[in-house]
Amino acid sequence: MTTVLIADDSETILLLMRTRLELAGYTVQTAADGQEVTELVDPTVEGGPDLLLLDAMMPRKSGIDALRELRAAGLRTPALIVSAHQDPGDADAPTDLEISGYLTKPIDFDLLLGAVAELTAEKAA
Amino acid sequence: MTVIGVARMITQRQDYESSIERSYQTEMVARVELQEGIRPNAARRTITAQEGKREDLRNSISGDTRDTVLLVAIGLIAGLIGALLLFAGLIATMRRPLEALVTAAGRLAAGDRTARVEIGGPAETAALGKAFNEMATELEIEAAQRDQLDRMKDEFVLTASHELRSPLTSVQGFAELLMMERDSLTPRQVETVEIILDNCRHLVRLLNDLLDLARSDAGRLTIRRKPTQMGPLIEEVVRTMRAQTESSGQTLTEHLEPDLPLVEVEPDRIRQILVNLLTNAHEYSPERASISISARVADGEMQIDVTDNGPGIPPAQVEHIFERFVRGDAGLTQRVGGTGLGLAISKSLIELHGGSIAVASEVGRGSTFTLRLPLSPAGAVAARDTRPRPLTEGRR
Repeated sequence: MTTVLIADDSETILLLMRTRLELAGYTVQTAADGQEVTELVDPTVEGGPDLLLLDAMMPRKSGIDALRELRAAGLRTPALIVSAHQDPGDADAPTDLEISGYLTKPIDFDLLLGAVAELTAEKAA
Repeated sequence: MTVIGVARMITQRQDYESSIERSYQTEMVARVELQEGIRPNAARRTITAQEGKREDLRNSISGDTRDTVLLVAIGLIAGLIGALLLFAGLIATMRRPLEALVTAAGRLAAGDRTARVEIGGPAETAALGKAFNEMATELEIEAAQRDQLDRMKDEFVLTASHELRSPLTSVQGFAELLMMERDSLTPRQVETVEIILDNCRHLVRLLNDLLDLARSDAGRLTIRRKPTQMGPLIEEVVRTMRAQTESSGQTLTEHLEPDLPLVEVEPDRIRQILVNLLTNAHEYSPERASISISARVADGEMQIDVTDNGPGIPPAQVEHIFERFVRGDAGLTQRVGGTGLGLAISKSLIELHGGSIAVASEVGRGSTFTLRLPLSPAGAVAARDTRPRPLTEGRR
C-alpha cells in the first residue's frame, strides 16, 4: 500500500485531497500544519509515508519549514509542494530541499495524480 | 532712469527759455507805457535801446541752447551706454539662476522628484527659484503618496488573489468530484455542475490575469528564458485549441516556415500569449470562420501572426485594444467570456521578452495580431533553470 501524507490548514481541502487520493487507491495520512507533519514523520524509522504533499503556507509551521527540518534529519521521501501562489517556482523557491514539484491552487487533480503515481513508482523501483 | 533724467533736463531748459521770453515782453510793455506819458521820442529811443538789449539777450540764449543740446546729447549717449551696461549686467546676473531653473525643470519633468534649485541672484530669480522649489516639494510629496497607494493596491491584489484560491480550490474540487459520479446524476444536475465548473475556470482565469497585472505593475512579473523551438510549441497550442474551434465549425490552420531557429523565451508565457490570441480569434469570430497561425523569420526576428476572418475591430477601438479592461464590440462581449485583461497582459509579457505585439484589422474582413520576438543570439548558451519546475501546464 502506498501512503501519502497531506498537510493543509483548510479542512475542506484536506477532505478533497484525501477523497481524490483514496479514490485513486492510496492510503492517506493528514496533518493540519507543518508542526503536525514533523510530529507524524520520524526520519529515523522505516515505513513512513511514501510521499509528502505539503501546503507551502500554513500557520504555526509552513510546509517548507517542516520539510527543511525533516531533510536536515535525513529524510529522503519525495515531496510535492502545493502553493496558492500562481507561480511558486518564480519566487523564493528553495533549491536545497529536493522538492519534486510544485502545484498551484486550484489543484489540477489530473496533474497531481500523475505526479503522485510517478513519484511513488520511482520509490517502489 | 538716465534717459528720463535727460528728458526732464530738456523740458526744464525749455520752460526756462519761455519764461525769459515772457518776462522780457512784460518789461518792454511796462517801459513803453511809462515813457510814452512823458516823452514819446525818448520812449522810442528807449525801445530801440531795449531792442538792442533784446538782441544781446537772444544771442546769449542761443548760446545757452547749443550748450543744452550738447549736454542733452552727451546725457543721452551716457544714459544709453549706462542702460546697456545695466541691462548686460542684469542679464549676466539672471542668466545663471535661469539656466539652473531650466535644468531643474527638465529633471523634474523627466521624473527626478528631488530636483531643486539654489536660491540666489536678483530678487526676481530668487523668488522664481523659491516658487519652483515649493512646487517640486509638493510634487515629491504627492508622488510619494501615490507610490505608497500603488504599493498598497499591488499588495492587496496579490493577497486577495492568493486568499481567494483556497475556497476556489474547494468549490472546483468538489464539483469535479460530483462530475466523477455523473452516471448517478440527472441531466439537469450534470448541467448545473458543468455551470459551476465553467465559472470556476473563469474565476481562475480572472485571478491569474489580475495577479499578472499586479505583478507587472509592481515590476515583479519575471520570465525564465530558455532556448525554445517555436514550431512544436505552436503545434501543441493548436492541438489544445482545436476542440474549441471545431465545436464552432471554425477551421484552425498552422503555417510554419521550415527550420525555424531557436528563440530565447519562457515557453509557458509564450503559450499563454498564443492561447490568448487564438481564444480571442475563436470567441470573436462567427461559426465556420477561418483562423490561422503562422511563424516565420522576418527582419532578423521571429514573427508569429494570428489571423482570423471575423468581424474585425473598429478603428476607434484598435488603438485601445491593448489597454486593460478594453474589450471588443460590446454586443459580442455578452457571449464572450474573457476578462478584458488578456491582451494587456500579453503585451506586458511580450515586452518583457524584448518583443512587440501589433494588430492590423479591417471591419468585416478580420484581424491579424503580429508577435515579434528577438532570435537567440547565435551560439549563446542559455543559463539552465535549476529550480524545480512547477507542475502547471498551460495557464488557461
